[in-house]
Amino acid sequence: MIFNLTHSTEYTYSAQVSHGHNIGILRPRVAQGQELLDFEVQILPEPSEQSERIDFFGNHITRFSLQTPHKILKVVTKSRIKRNFGAFHQAYQTDACQKVTLSVALQSLQRLDPDILEARQYLLESIFIRRANEEIRQYAATSFHPERSIFDATYELMQRIYTDFDFVPGFTTISTPLVEVMEHRKGVCQDFAQIAIACIRAVGLPARYVSGYIETLPPEGQEKLVGADASHAWFSLFIPDFGWVDFDPTNNQLPIDQHIVVGWGRDYYDVPPLKGVVYGSGNSKLKVAVDITREE
Amino acid sequence: MPLTSTTWFNSYFTSGNYDEMFTPEMGIRPPWKALFSAFKAFGTEGLNARQRDMDWLLYENGVTYNVYNDPKGMNRPWDLNLVPFVLQEKEWKTLAEGLQQRATLLDLVLKDVYGKRHLIQDGIVPHEVIYGHRGFLRQCSGIAYNTEKMLSIYAADVSRGTDGRLWVVNDRTEAPSGMGYALENRYTSQRVLPELFAQMAIKPLSNFLEQLDQLLVSASPEPKDNPNIVILTPGSHNETYFEHAYLASYFGYRLVQGNDLVVRDGFLWMKSLKGLKKVDVVLRRVDDAYVDSLELREDSQLGVVGLLDVVRRKNVSVINPVGSAVMENPGLIPFMPAIANYFLKQELLLPQIASWWCGQNKEKQYVLDNLPQLVVKRIDRTNRESIHFGEFMTAAELEQLKKEINARPYRFVAQERIHFSTAPNLNGSGIEPRNTVARAFAIAMGDNYNIMPGGLVRVAPDRDTIRVSNQRGGTNKDFWVLEEGPVSQVPILQKYHKRDIVASGLDDLPSLTAENLYWAGRYVGRTLMTARYLRMVFRQMAVQPDANEHTSSVKLRALFESVTQVTGTYPGFVGDEEVTTKAFENPKAELLSVMGDKTRAGSLGHTIEMFGNSYYAIRNLWSSDMWRVFKSIQRVWRGFEADKTPTINDCIKTLDQLITRLIAFMGLVEESIMVQQGLLLYFIGLQLEQSMLTITKCRSLLTVKQEGHVEYELLEYLLASHESLNIYRYSYRSYIQMEQVMDLLLFDVQYPRSLAFMLNRLHKDVSRLPHSKSAHQLYGYQKHIFEAFSRVRLADKLELMKIDEEAGPLRHQMDAFFDDLSDLLHQASRTLSAVYFNHTQKRRQLVNPSFPI
Repeated sequence: MIFNLTHSTEYTYSAQVSHGHNIGILRPRVAQGQELLDFEVQILPEPSEQSERIDFFGNHITRFSLQTPHKILKVVTKSRIKRNFGAFHQAYQTDACQKVTLSVALQSLQRLDPDILEARQYLLESIFIRRANEEIRQYAATSFHPERSIFDATYELMQRIYTDFDFVPGFTTISTPLVEVMEHRKGVCQDFAQIAIACIRAVGLPARYVSGYIETLPPEGQEKLVGADASHAWFSLFIPDFGWVDFDPTNNQLPIDQHIVVGWGRDYYDVPPLKGVVYGSGNSKLKVAVDITREE
Repeated sequence: MPLTSTTWFNSYFTSGNYDEMFTPEMGIRPPWKALFSAFKAFGTEGLNARQRDMDWLLYENGVTYNVYNDPKGMNRPWDLNLVPFVLQEKEWKTLAEGLQQRATLLDLVLKDVYGKRHLIQDGIVPHEVIYGHRGFLRQCSGIAYNTEKMLSIYAADVSRGTDGRLWVVNDRTEAPSGMGYALENRYTSQRVLPELFAQMAIKPLSNFLEQLDQLLVSASPEPKDNPNIVILTPGSHNETYFEHAYLASYFGYRLVQGNDLVVRDGFLWMKSLKGLKKVDVVLRRVDDAYVDSLELREDSQLGVVGLLDVVRRKNVSVINPVGSAVMENPGLIPFMPAIANYFLKQELLLPQIASWWCGQNKEKQYVLDNLPQLVVKRIDRTNRESIHFGEFMTAAELEQLKKEINARPYRFVAQERIHFSTAPNLNGSGIEPRNTVARAFAIAMGDNYNIMPGGLVRVAPDRDTIRVSNQRGGTNKDFWVLEEGPVSQVPILQKYHKRDIVASGLDDLPSLTAENLYWAGRYVGRTLMTARYLRMVFRQMAVQPDANEHTSSVKLRALFESVTQVTGTYPGFVGDEEVTTKAFENPKAELLSVMGDKTRAGSLGHTIEMFGNSYYAIRNLWSSDMWRVFKSIQRVWRGFEADKTPTINDCIKTLDQLITRLIAFMGLVEESIMVQQGLLLYFIGLQLEQSMLTITKCRSLLTVKQEGHVEYELLEYLLASHESLNIYRYSYRSYIQMEQVMDLLLFDVQYPRSLAFMLNRLHKDVSRLPHSKSAHQLYGYQKHIFEAFSRVRLADKLELMKIDEEAGPLRHQMDAFFDDLSDLLHQASRTLSAVYFNHTQKRRQLVNPSFPI
């Protein structure tokens, strides 16, 4: 399936900004079952210079500097993406994915082969996901048992987060500590993903944070609205000798083709869509719109 | 009392540890013999006298360090002990080879962890030791550098163990400090112990400094003879700011803060008076995580936004590279032998402390079982405060520590508790043994490292303390390496390097430095004028026998009001009766507050404090004489502050002392700083401030017409406060008259204290600023100053003095005249700031998270 995706970010400043430096993870990476066919980024005002590089986690970082005074910064990315996740999704049915128990997984993680070593960095504490407290440990322990399949346990964890937590935009910001999210059981997609990751790491398994988009389908019989799609975040569990399996606790589903991956890291901190430092006084207002259409 | 070996022994021996000077049989170790006999000849008194010379010299040179959150305040004097630390060249060579090997290894590890990470993939180093260390900055992965070695500067803390060998205790790789202090220690001990330097073959440090300069020059992205090298400091509150300023003036590098630098077009630039100047090399003293708030800590104000990307493009070299803190990592210690074998097929030359990394099960178990005998550290926090000494912990504390280790085992390392050697230390009455740690320095040179033949030796604060750190307060020693051969003639270490700073000139002056000089000028001027004015008023108070007598009370009232106007400490004596009654009821109390209350903007105390701040901020420019005078200004002022109930005469005395010292200070400024170094900015600030205050003063005392004898006396006071009474008498030989006073103080272009003279000079000075030269038209600030000067030149004093009898005693024209002049100068000040000092533009994050990396 081929998607055309437009992601527009617009900052409006109350006072003129003389210059600024920005970085962001905007170009979707190549991932399991995902190809990037075309990509362009338009920035207004015209940046004085712009570059791309691959970061530590393999994500694409776009960097640009603005030196012309401006009051509006607009960044629009257009991507053409081919998703064919179905085949890999089929493999979830195999024993290699389904039958790995926690105790077997922990044993396998002791090995030093490249895949395992690569995955093990996602076991450690990260900037937003510190060591789990007792409450999070308890929450994880309900689903994870040594002789239970980690796929099943994670699936159940996803379902429980979906049921136990309310989706409340504006209740949290990106710097709200996880313990607060846990206590109030409210948040948005990145909070749910990070809660799940904290739980999985607490039992000793690697989990990573995935940032991307989700295509929303209109209710039966209605026209799809432009800009109705959204940036999204979910998480991925590492199953030794199988690979990384994505889970979406916000929508209680295993992503297939409607989830488009941009990048991943240990938590939100590693994959911010756009950040920057601007020189100027005053406030800024942010407007984001995402639009995904299917190519026939 | 002569110092005999008996007294040494009496006070000396306490423990069975290895001692640097004495053998267990009480013999004196060979390297110390010459020193010991020289000291014996000095005697206790002689030694103490030399120690006093040493203290005095350090004090005079303003050698200080800061202690964070310390009630004793900033800029504590540096404490150097007369007794040096001595090592024979043969032993030093063994140490140097070991350090060369260790620096080489750490460089290879650093390159590997930010490169292909073979050490992790091949199972030599567990990934948690690197990935679990907060100094490992993923943003720096894959960067290629201009220098052959990634670790350009390396420092190691070295101590002697009970086996008599020198051990490595800590690795310092992020921004190793101490080289400047080591230099200053050597400079001082050469001055205080010249005969020992003549008798003993002490290896000089000068070559090593040349090499450091070469290292930085050769780090330039493009080969250049004279690359632009800057030292990036977090500012004057940093604990080792003295050293940053010291190295900057020694080598002639620019000392800059983050706000002085900016990233444009993929390069790093220094904001100078002229504009932007490209920077080639940054010797960095700001910590890793703080250097770039775009990619690293978002809340940092100490770095430069976008710096990391300039490094990535190889358009600037940062020494040491950002990310090198990950090598300050005791978690690596257990793996160093395997690393040495992996990279070099060698054994480690220098012994390390036995260490157990808790990320491994067996090791962790050992640590948990033996906790009371061990020293526990976090792999990424090696400062003294984060070290747990098992033997001093209670059972409950040990339990807590066990919990923490079990929760995140990979973060902890436990080490064997080592009894390090002691070295002799002079303590006033004799010599006692103290624990010491030596910091040795290595700098990259080609494919190897050069080791400083000396270093910084730190001494435990008392006999029983085993933790040694300057941050906690402590003594230091010079570090002598004794050559085997005969004494070679070594030139005395020169205090200042001969780099041609003039060549770069005023255009390249960092704008923050320029601003600090400008404000130094303004505050010096304000302090002096305020002090003189207050002194004049206090004198009048002291001599008026009866303040209630009519003339006296009118005069004093006018003077009191003018104090408020000149200092700007409103309401004070100015305003409605209800506001000012209190001040007039007890004028002395109000004046004391205007003098001493430093929380009150405009008060003398406040001005002196601001003067001090601007002084510290650019101390690399000041000479040691200036430092001495500055200290004595502070001493006078602190003496006054300590006096809870000063009399009027006490105030006058303080002001007298202050004024003399300020004038000495101003004279020194003129002769110690070159115009190209920014003296021009100081003058501009000084003249501008003095002009402004002269205007305020004259306006305050001249615009209201008074009765004849009152006016006469006020004119006399005005002249006195301007130190112009004698000149007046000499020039006019007459009764004091308004017209002539105005001539002298305002219009006489020949008289250096007149407004016309100062404005004329100001006009000439600002025309030498970089932007003034470029246009045929006058630049904004030039216009304002030129206009002010013209207004003064064109003024008609009789018109100014005119009075409209019906409208009251105010001389309207004069008042308007002063008002305009004052406006013009304020505009000039604002324009100057906007053109030259506009580096404080607000910057902020698009998104506003706050969290530690």
